[in-house]
Amino acid sequence: MDKKIAVQVDDLTVAYNYKPVLWDIDLEIPEGVLMAIVGPNGAGKSTLIKAILGILKPIAGSVSIYGKPYDQQRKLVAYVPQKGSVDWDFPTTALDVVMMGTYGSLGWIKRPGQKEKKAALEALEKVGMLPFKGRQISQLSGGQQQRIFLARALVQDASIYFMDEPFQGVDATTEIAIINILKELRKAGKTVIVVHHDLQTVPEYFDWVTFLNVKKIATGPVKDIFNDDNLTKTYGINYKVSIQE
Amino acid sequence: MNNAQIEIQLIASLVAVACAIPGTFLVLRKMAMISDAISHSILPGLVIGFFITQDLNSPFLILLAALTGVITVVLVERIQKTGLVKEDTAIGLVFPALFSIGVILIAKNANDVHLDVDAVLLGELAFAPFDRLMIAGADVGPKSLWIIGTILSMTIGLLIAFFKELKISTFDAGLAASLGFSPALIHYGLMTVASVTTVGAFDAVGAILVVALMIAPAASAYLLTTNLKKMLGLAISFGVFSAISGYWLAHWLDASIAGSITTMLGLLFLIIYLFAPSKGLIAVMYREKQQRTEVSLLTFLLHLKNHSETRERHVNHLQEHINWQKVRAKTVLDLALKNNMIIIDNNIVSLTQKGDEFTSKAINYIITNEDAQIEDMKDDFFLFRG
Amino acid sequence: MDIQEYFSLVFSDYTLRTITLGTAVLGAVTGMLGSFAVLRKQSLLGDAISHAALPGIAIAFLITGAKDSNTLLIGALVSGLIGTFWIRGIVTKTHLKSDTALGLILSLFFGFGMLLLTFIQKQPNANQAGLDKYLFGQAATLVESDVWLMAIITGLCLIVLLFFWKEFKLFLFDADYAKTLGFNTKFIDILITSFIVLAIVLGLQTVGVVLMSAMLLAPAAAARQWTNSLSKMVLLAAIFGAFSGVFGTAISASQNNLSTGPVIVIVASVFVIFSFIFSPSRGLLFRQIRFISNRRDLEQQKTLAFMYHIAETHENISHPHTIKILNNFQGYTRKTLQKLVDKDYVTLDGTMWSLTEKGFETAANLYNQQAIKDE
Repeated sequence: MDKKIAVQVDDLTVAYNYKPVLWDIDLEIPEGVLMAIVGPNGAGKSTLIKAILGILKPIAGSVSIYGKPYDQQRKLVAYVPQKGSVDWDFPTTALDVVMMGTYGSLGWIKRPGQKEKKAALEALEKVGMLPFKGRQISQLSGGQQQRIFLARALVQDASIYFMDEPFQGVDATTEIAIINILKELRKAGKTVIVVHHDLQTVPEYFDWVTFLNVKKIATGPVKDIFNDDNLTKTYGINYKVSIQE
Repeated sequence: MNNAQIEIQLIASLVAVACAIPGTFLVLRKMAMISDAISHSILPGLVIGFFITQDLNSPFLILLAALTGVITVVLVERIQKTGLVKEDTAIGLVFPALFSIGVILIAKNANDVHLDVDAVLLGELAFAPFDRLMIAGADVGPKSLWIIGTILSMTIGLLIAFFKELKISTFDAGLAASLGFSPALIHYGLMTVASVTTVGAFDAVGAILVVALMIAPAASAYLLTTNLKKMLGLAISFGVFSAISGYWLAHWLDASIAGSITTMLGLLFLIIYLFAPSKGLIAVMYREKQQRTEVSLLTFLLHLKNHSETRERHVNHLQEHINWQKVRAKTVLDLALKNNMIIIDNNIVSLTQKGDEFTSKAINYIITNEDAQIEDMKDDFFLFRG
Repeated sequence: MDIQEYFSLVFSDYTLRTITLGTAVLGAVTGMLGSFAVLRKQSLLGDAISHAALPGIAIAFLITGAKDSNTLLIGALVSGLIGTFWIRGIVTKTHLKSDTALGLILSLFFGFGMLLLTFIQKQPNANQAGLDKYLFGQAATLVESDVWLMAIITGLCLIVLLFFWKEFKLFLFDADYAKTLGFNTKFIDILITSFIVLAIVLGLQTVGVVLMSAMLLAPAAAARQWTNSLSKMVLLAAIFGAFSGVFGTAISASQNNLSTGPVIVIVASVFVIFSFIFSPSRGLLFRQIRFISNRRDLEQQKTLAFMYHIAETHENISHPHTIKILNNFQGYTRKTLQKLVDKDYVTLDGTMWSLTEKGFETAANLYNQQAIKDE
């Protein structure tokens, strides 16, 4: 029996300033996979996630989450943006940032209460950051900041998690901690989609992979399609492992 | 035209040229707001200098005020380095404070200082011809003309001498440093020139309008060309044009000359902003519209290439599946038909030979970003230009 | 009138009370909204908006001939908003960068405004005396209705802040994330920007076009140094702003010939300098002190580690050594040695020193930690 499709992308074309970065992408992500999106710099990996989440408006094509448009399904989706996308000198604490994960289910105007705080503390515990809950976020290390972001997504208690380079600039301990949490999420039947740039770790961390370079090259189980042929197609003949997007 | 009128226009034009040169580099180096900061914060230097020299046109006073300008830049940079506030906040904190000190100094010594706050903001170009420079009893022209003339010739001298260094450090600071040109030296050199020019122009056009003369001509020129020499030339001509036409506007309206010059600069910028051939608003909007159509066309062609199933290639699929709202499917279909890229048979769309080749080439270009292969396509498609 | 007299009169004298209340309310609202401008990295937008408001004032006067400040403020509001949106237009539609766009709008609008003002001054029938105050601000011209207007807007702003606090915070910190949670970020953006423009326009009469931006930035920049919580920062900025307003007005009212704007800005700048230096967690003074004490600790640790290496070679760790050995070592000074003795790490006996048990253990730990860090 086929698995349920968690995310379906049809004919998606996205452009920045009308310069296309993603071309006619068709993608089906089955429920319960831990998937890496890989590709060279400028391949549109982050763009794909942002377009799926409605942060960027596509020129053509459509996205559905469990068969319905994103707008109707946002509560099923959590997002971990790139760490560098925010100002870490912002006057707020770790706990406060994690609490932001509850804002979506609260909706407009309603304030977070005890229930939300409890959920945030639990998420902090899960990522091993409970002792740092009162810390100003700029006083956390890069790895700790990334864990805070992960905790914020965990609080959303979603079915599908999108993460943009969660291993970028983190220490080895954090990387292991994060991947363990991701594997736990998969075990719980969640779908996790990660923009990833370290090809070495793909077979070890993930069970599903999508090769992307402006258009989709291949998608499927790691054991079937993670091979030289697809790597060469994605990265070209002068194949190099890219540092970051 | 009488003599005074000619002299005023001459002074205004020289000020415009003297401002346009450093202004061009400030705009290119994304430091336009520094000129705003300098123009405000030289005020206390000017007032203190006046206490010492008692002469608004003394070279010593000009240097002292210019030094305040450079100090401002250093102060802003020091505050930025502490990391206590963001970069632009540092600028926004420093210059109002220094300007306020200047205004208060003037107000507290109103009887001794023949500076008036209105003149600080507006300058007194209309009175410039009355303050003459006498050498050995002979009248050699208005003092401001000599001052700004001296500053301008120094600026031009420096520009010619260091043009190469300025150019490299502006476009590639890293390269400049590796070639042995200290970016810091060029940076502070430019700041010094900007400060001296501001002080020299201050007397004529006032604090805030110096900013206009520095930024507006350069910004207008930048919308027309990216060639540095052409940009400098255009900025200078825009400055001079606004100076002279602004003078006559002021004459006609009987209003402030500096205000009129700025208004002319504003009108000039507005016209260029709207109508510049490739970077103006109208051109940009037209291009975006074209690109939208072309991207849709390519998406459509690519879709045809990727899918051999007839269901995916049915005409109705365009509306149903690809979900185009921005561009009507018909426009795209017509465009493709007109270019002989597709044939429609029984409502099933197929690529022609030409369409197939075109799509392969286009997608190849998009992935590799190599220009050479698509030279012949550039004429037909906006998408592949620039 | 001197400052003491001012404060004794402030509660009884109608005019003084009005002015003081006006500047206090103004300082509070600009401080509050300024926090948002600073955190959005739009510090200089305020400067551009306030300058861009000038032609609006002049045109409103030319059209209506009224000196009524509310009419003029509507003109200011309209042209301030036009300036703001034009800046956005330039940044999004051309390749000019935001600093150029800000400088352009600021100087061009202001120059046009000055053209109109000088034009108005030359009009025979124009009773224009009131327009000059918009350059540097005259708090003395505030009347009760102005203060009411400020209070109403501030109240409105407070209500909006309380209602949308969570949304504002989320938007300021991570706008993309806010979007994925389903918040309309465009709406929040327009709400914040409109209130900032409104606050600037309100302050023009009191502080003036030229210096208004400092009212927005200075209290917020000062407040940021004292707290790591957004709500406390906004509150503190409001307090700093209000005090700058009151003190500034007091000083300028007690002196002849002083516009309010520059004095308020100076007072606010003093708050900033004080905060930059003396804030316990971020301030430069404490940062320097921490830096020095860290360095001293490091020197001590180095000396201790050096001794440890010597002591290690002997079976008895407390074996005495001559102080002379230390002389060749960089980290060593008489002072550091004395400090080590005070901490009971080392005992001195004439010209000989020896490590204590405690000192040996500490040094060994130090060494281990270093080794872990290096891994």
